[in-house]
Amino acid sequence: MVAITGACTYLGTELIKLLEVDQRYQRVLALDIRRPDLPADLIKTEHHTVDLTVPTVGSQLAALLRGVDTVIHGAFLSFPTHAASWAHELEDVGTMHVLDACAQAAPARLMLLSTTMVYGASAGNPNWLSETAPLRGLPGSRYVTDKVRAEVQVARHAEEHPETAVAVLRFAPLLGPTVTNYVTRFFSRPLVPVLMGHDPLLQFVHESDAVQALKRAVDRDVSGAFNIVGNGVLPYSTVLALMGRVPVPMPHFVARRLYRALWATQIAATPPTFLDFLRYLCVADGSRAERLLGFRPRYDVQRAIQDFAGLTPEDEPDIARAQG
Amino acid sequence: MSGGNGKSDGGAPPDHGDWRDGDRPRDPLDAVPDALDPPAWAGESPHDAIFTSPELWGGEAEVRDNAYGPPIPSRFPDIESVAGEVRELERRVRARLTPVFPLEVRRNPPLRSILRRYRQFAMRDRSAVVDEMGRDPVYASRFEPALDFLYRRYFRTRCQGVEHVPMAGRAILVANHSGALPYDALMLMRAVEREHPAHRQVRPLLEDEVFHFPYLGTFLNRLGGVRACPENAEKLLEEEQLVAVFPEGIQGIGKLYRERYRLQRFGRGGFVKLALRTGSPIIPVAVVGAEEATPMLAKITWLARLLGLPHLPVTPLFPLLGPAGLLPLPSKWLVRFGEPIDLGAQAGAGDAEDRLLVARLADSVRTKVQDMIGDLLSQRGSSAFT
Repeated sequence: MVAITGACTYLGTELIKLLEVDQRYQRVLALDIRRPDLPADLIKTEHHTVDLTVPTVGSQLAALLRGVDTVIHGAFLSFPTHAASWAHELEDVGTMHVLDACAQAAPARLMLLSTTMVYGASAGNPNWLSETAPLRGLPGSRYVTDKVRAEVQVARHAEEHPETAVAVLRFAPLLGPTVTNYVTRFFSRPLVPVLMGHDPLLQFVHESDAVQALKRAVDRDVSGAFNIVGNGVLPYSTVLALMGRVPVPMPHFVARRLYRALWATQIAATPPTFLDFLRYLCVADGSRAERLLGFRPRYDVQRAIQDFAGLTPEDEPDIARAQG
Repeated sequence: MSGGNGKSDGGAPPDHGDWRDGDRPRDPLDAVPDALDPPAWAGESPHDAIFTSPELWGGEAEVRDNAYGPPIPSRFPDIESVAGEVRELERRVRARLTPVFPLEVRRNPPLRSILRRYRQFAMRDRSAVVDEMGRDPVYASRFEPALDFLYRRYFRTRCQGVEHVPMAGRAILVANHSGALPYDALMLMRAVEREHPAHRQVRPLLEDEVFHFPYLGTFLNRLGGVRACPENAEKLLEEEQLVAVFPEGIQGIGKLYRERYRLQRFGRGGFVKLALRTGSPIIPVAVVGAEEATPMLAKITWLARLLGLPHLPVTPLFPLLGPAGLLPLPSKWLVRFGEPIDLGAQAGAGDAEDRLLVARLADSVRTKVQDMIGDLLSQRGSSAFT
């Protein structure tokens, strides 16, 4: 039996669809504050309304998780919010509730769905961050800090409960035709800020690759951290050129002030601290997932960008011609 | 209203919190005895049933809808519908501010032909595929003629001993660093790519001050430069690439003209540890000419600190001519590759933690590079420009 918190997230919903057609799984518990957007004729899946921000959720979870072998904790926000204290309750304290329930129910496996943002974008990052790199987070960003704190709690849980195999999947930013998160919102605008003189390499994972990797991790008995990343990297300016977005260059101190104002007035969906991702590297190395999970992404970064931007094959010869 | 009654009920204030759930709030007036309530003494006599049974008393009259004509519209809108409208407005504003277009809209954007033209224009001198460290082959080929001109015509570079660079397989080039700008890294790359029979690419490791410098760092990264850190270097060497390191680091390009060609300290010998761990041969390289190309006459320390730069050079042309002053002078360049030093004969991979050994090996490489520089300087003769 598999239980998924955050069943309404993109990864949660897609994983439920895959588990539903897999003979090896008898029951799936979809836990979220509302019913996930799934077809009505699912037979294995049952939905339970669980709100991780409610103080009494611990006993409810403990009752629900009795007899569950695999707990997948994915109740995380996919974009930063102004309701920072609510987000903290959901991500940090909510993780504590889930872990407490796991300590009682003692499932065989626990899986945390995290992001590569927990490594943070800093000047000291190597080009390819391995899973053992320190989780620096982004100073000043509550969105990233909450995710780092969730990771720290899960790591502590793994030490204290050796009977539970704990795996952490750190996904690169998801990009694709249907997924919605802070990245797709950022790149949906026609004008995009560029920090003058800085052009870091960006990394994405195609949404369908991310789901495949998650399914593989659920199928296999693995533990430890895994970076789930797509093939290849591209400079930020090339990403914008491929998407057809117009860069607006500005010095980083101007951009920081501008975005502080835009964020405070709720005009931009990007907090000013996220500008570090446009300045420094935050690229993760997916070789451990390839080695232990056998996960090899089918789509590279160019394909993820094409699918996101809705480009058709007839758009591609233009680029080849442009380069001569 | 009797004071006693109001007080006894006032202990539980009306709770309006759960209005929306359908629970009507308790009317505080219910506590006040009125004509509909049985009197306080009711129940004493059997005849008092008239007060307690609704059939006899009649109870409250039922008022049917529209019993008194159609309802009079209120001047004030219903609070729920106002809240709903505000919420809808907020949702629309948010959707407009942070648009996430569904795929069909993205597939058929307005002004599609303009978008296609723009993408062509934006992709004109960049490749859609870069290598894993960020080298862009199209961008690099765009700059190849200019760098070739600098190498051949401007600096008239003479390259010696390039046969010491292996035809294939990993190696670490250890070179001196000089001049106010890292032209020597670019010329070292050109030297191996042009003169070596296998035309191998060199990946120079750039210190943080250069790699994170606006524009310069990005430019060098697209041409093949990599941020200097052990993880990056090991990854490149494990892929059997040529790595160039400048152990003097920022001290090397920050030294004044009067200290020219005097090697600074070789750091903590990171390149020796790297060579021991990966089993790569070390090839000492001497580059002569860079000091005269951008001779640093003085440094403006206070202004550099103010601007957050590692150093602000004063050269004969900079800052006199503005940005054009950063162009190099046409000095004569010599590049010499020394014989490979195989550390494997002297130490094993386990010795990377032996600090004394690492320092001794680093010092021997440093001496070798310094000797080669001396040779080249005497070979070049008295004038640096002919």
